Amino acid sequence: MNEMMIKLTSVTKSFGTVTALDGVTADIQAGEFFSLLGPSGCGKTTLLRTIAGFEEPDSGSIFIDGQPMRGVEANRRPTNMVFQSYAIFPHMSVAQNVGFGLRRRRLRPDELQRQIDDALRMVSLEGFGERAAHTLSGGQRQRVALARALIMRPKVLLLDEPLSALDKKLREQMQLELRQLQRAVGITFILVTHDQEEALTMSDRIAIMFEGQIAQLSTPQDLYMRPKSRQVADFIGSMNFLRAEILRRQADRIEVRIEGLGKVELAGDQASHNADDQPAAGVRPELLTILFDETDRAAREVEGEITGRSYFGDMTYYEARLDGASNAVTISMRNTSGRPVLDAGARIRVGWEADSIILL
Amino acid sequence: MSPGSLRSWLRSPDGRGLTLVSPPFIYAVLLLAAPLAAVAAFSFWTQNYLDLDRTFTIANYREVWTEPVYRVLMLRSLTVSALVTAVTVALAFPIAYFVSFRVEPARKPLWIFLITIPFWTSYLMRIFLWKVILGYNGVVNGSLLQLGIISEPLNFILYNVNAVVITLSHAWAPFAILPIFVALEKIDRSLLEAATDLGDGPLQRFFSITLPLAFPGIFAAALIVFIPTVGDYVTPRLVGGPSGLMISNMIELQFKKANNPPLGAALAVSAMFIVTAISLIFVRISRRYLRERA
Amino acid sequence: MNRMRISWLALYVCVYLLFLYAPVLLLPIFSFNDSSIVAFPLSGFTLNWFALLWQTETLHSAVRNSIMIAAITAIVSTMLGLCAARAASRYAFRMKRGIMGLIMVPLVLPEIVVGVSLLVVILQFGFELSLWSIVLGHVLICTPFSVVVLSTAFNNLDRSLEEAAIDLGETRWSTFRLISLPLIMPGVIASLLIAFTISLDEFIIAFFLAGTEVTLPVYIWSLLRFPARLPSVLALGTILLAASLILLVSAEFIRRRGLRRTGATDRGGLF
Repeated sequence: MNEMMIKLTSVTKSFGTVTALDGVTADIQAGEFFSLLGPSGCGKTTLLRTIAGFEEPDSGSIFIDGQPMRGVEANRRPTNMVFQSYAIFPHMSVAQNVGFGLRRRRLRPDELQRQIDDALRMVSLEGFGERAAHTLSGGQRQRVALARALIMRPKVLLLDEPLSALDKKLREQMQLELRQLQRAVGITFILVTHDQEEALTMSDRIAIMFEGQIAQLSTPQDLYMRPKSRQVADFIGSMNFLRAEILRRQADRIEVRIEGLGKVELAGDQASHNADDQPAAGVRPELLTILFDETDRAAREVEGEITGRSYFGDMTYYEARLDGASNAVTISMRNTSGRPVLDAGARIRVGWEADSIILL
Repeated sequence: MSPGSLRSWLRSPDGRGLTLVSPPFIYAVLLLAAPLAAVAAFSFWTQNYLDLDRTFTIANYREVWTEPVYRVLMLRSLTVSALVTAVTVALAFPIAYFVSFRVEPARKPLWIFLITIPFWTSYLMRIFLWKVILGYNGVVNGSLLQLGIISEPLNFILYNVNAVVITLSHAWAPFAILPIFVALEKIDRSLLEAATDLGDGPLQRFFSITLPLAFPGIFAAALIVFIPTVGDYVTPRLVGGPSGLMISNMIELQFKKANNPPLGAALAVSAMFIVTAISLIFVRISRRYLRERA
Repeated sequence: MNRMRISWLALYVCVYLLFLYAPVLLLPIFSFNDSSIVAFPLSGFTLNWFALLWQTETLHSAVRNSIMIAAITAIVSTMLGLCAARAASRYAFRMKRGIMGLIMVPLVLPEIVVGVSLLVVILQFGFELSLWSIVLGHVLICTPFSVVVLSTAFNNLDRSLEEAAIDLGETRWSTFRLISLPLIMPGVIASLLIAFTISLDEFIIAFFLAGTEVTLPVYIWSLLRFPARLPSVLALGTILLAASLILLVSAEFIRRRGLRRTGATDRGGLF
């Protein structure tokens, strides 16, 4: 099952003086939903286009299903792409769009029609075949783009920010559908996105890219819970950083003093290799708890003061300063009935757990 | 270069671009750059009746830059052209303004069409018809006589520089109206409302917002009119009379009747040089103006 | 106060339009005027000049030459323009500014210089002047216009459409044929029309490079000096003007009907 589909080795590409890809190495498994996540300009789209064959890397190699891709043009690669703008041919009907790639296969007309119908059914667009492409809505265009690529039965489907043009509701629905579709067809999907939520919900594995390099490649859970650098931690979700000091480092235990939280012993895997002489302790806002009731108790408690809040309906985000800490922290609390909303200046007790801390 | 690297070069943007651009480029080299170089070379040679003396000389240029007749023609070409530019742009601005600000958006294309209709007929015929309008028995004189405004036909409106200016201003009108119109269309109308909101009257608003923002269009219009009118041949020939001839007429004369291509070449090169220099200075000044304002 | 200002502007617009239309208004007047001297006063109505059009063989051949030259020029300069515009809008290549600059130079070059320089070269190499030498010059001055029009078309074409076709297995050439060309077709037609119009009306280059056979403007030029048959040329001008107006209006009409059928919103167009 864990067959390798794509092997990238030290892929480097620059445009003039700008380095878009700086030694990217990664393995992507067959049948995997793989995401390239990063801010705009990080090189994720360039990497996708290099895999597709629209850009030739300056150095490094790309293997798809064991075949070297150097010198192989986009039209001869076993990949197909869903473009950010969908690139639906405006002068053709939906069926002509979907069947476009099959032209070269010289199928019998009834076989061609059957495949087009199947592809349209797969993306829930039965009966849309004769519609003119320019009459479609954004969501429909996206489905046509998917059908047009999947009808080719590619080994790898490349998706360049396919959901960014859709509104929020439709986007969430399409995330689910895309994931289901990928499971159903079993094709390797590579998705480029700048939306961390999208990457987390859809992917088997995610590569986070900054400045042309992969900063971390892992499962969504691992990325969220065990980011390897502050940059990654900050990009995926939000993270509170508190100054920390390593008191003692043993084989698999590390004793640290954290500003505002106090002394604590952490397991070895809670510390990133990047943690240097001046490490920071990171803790997610939802892993700090405000103890509203006097009877509420937590394993570890510290005190602090609310300095501000933002109300989001289901959640409230509090800005707070823990006693003895120089940085403010954010604490997110789910709003439940009967729970008060605190104002700035209120004194609070904050509960936390040792294993929710990571050292960066 | 090995075959492999040639192949990969041909597939690079550099290779693809150069391959694709080569047909028009080679055409331009063979039929524009080479002929222009030939003209430049000619200008340093001498014509002895039927033979061409190919020893290098700057005598042609000395003649072009010192003989009064050429200087007069050159200066007249430049003056006429500058005058035409000023008149055309000044006359065009209110029209562009009217179409952009007073005509309702749905009707604008119709108005632009209306302005270009008169130019859907032969250039030569249009110029010639101006001769009919301005002539001794022409439309203007005829009407003025009939109205009793004048007692005998005016003769200062044909076969002189005035006629050339009027005719060229007409011929180049759409080329001035369109760029100004485009610039005016780009002006964000909320800027004008903001100016009114801040207490500017209509006139103040025009001078503080509309006119400065229209300058790129005005500069473009001026260049578009100036450059080709300097080299215009037909209009001075048809309506200019002896006192309205310009440099192109002399160039043609040297190449054809006078059979002195080297001198004609020197005239052409000199004229191109002067026009290029003026245009570059103009571009630089307008760029600086636009940058300072930004 | 405000009303006054608008009406002054409106008055100016009327006067200016009269100025613009003055020559074109005279065109039909003199083509129906029963006198070979094109001047006022008018001397009566006639259709003779239109009849004479059918009998003037030199005029016919001039028109034929002009149309042939304009058609060849339109096709060649549009093809050269396609190459240049596509290269400029798609690729970064060495010396791009210089190369594109040279191709665009005829835009700012006086036509007489183009005519003179081609004349010098053609005569120096001992070639005969012919209609083909006019085509050479006209292609040179029309190509920049084609490049401008087609560059706009290529820049408005979403690049990912071409990439999508290549991604789906097409070659570069078949992609151009199946996707790019149909989508830039309005630009191609505009380029053909513009080049055709410019070539049809161009005088100076044709004047310099014409051999024994002449084009319509060169023929008109000769009549301007020996004006016995001039009114028939004006009659021709009237016909041409009417034809181009009818063509433009009906093109716009068809375009609008097409828009209504597809239900698309109107962007641009004439009325």
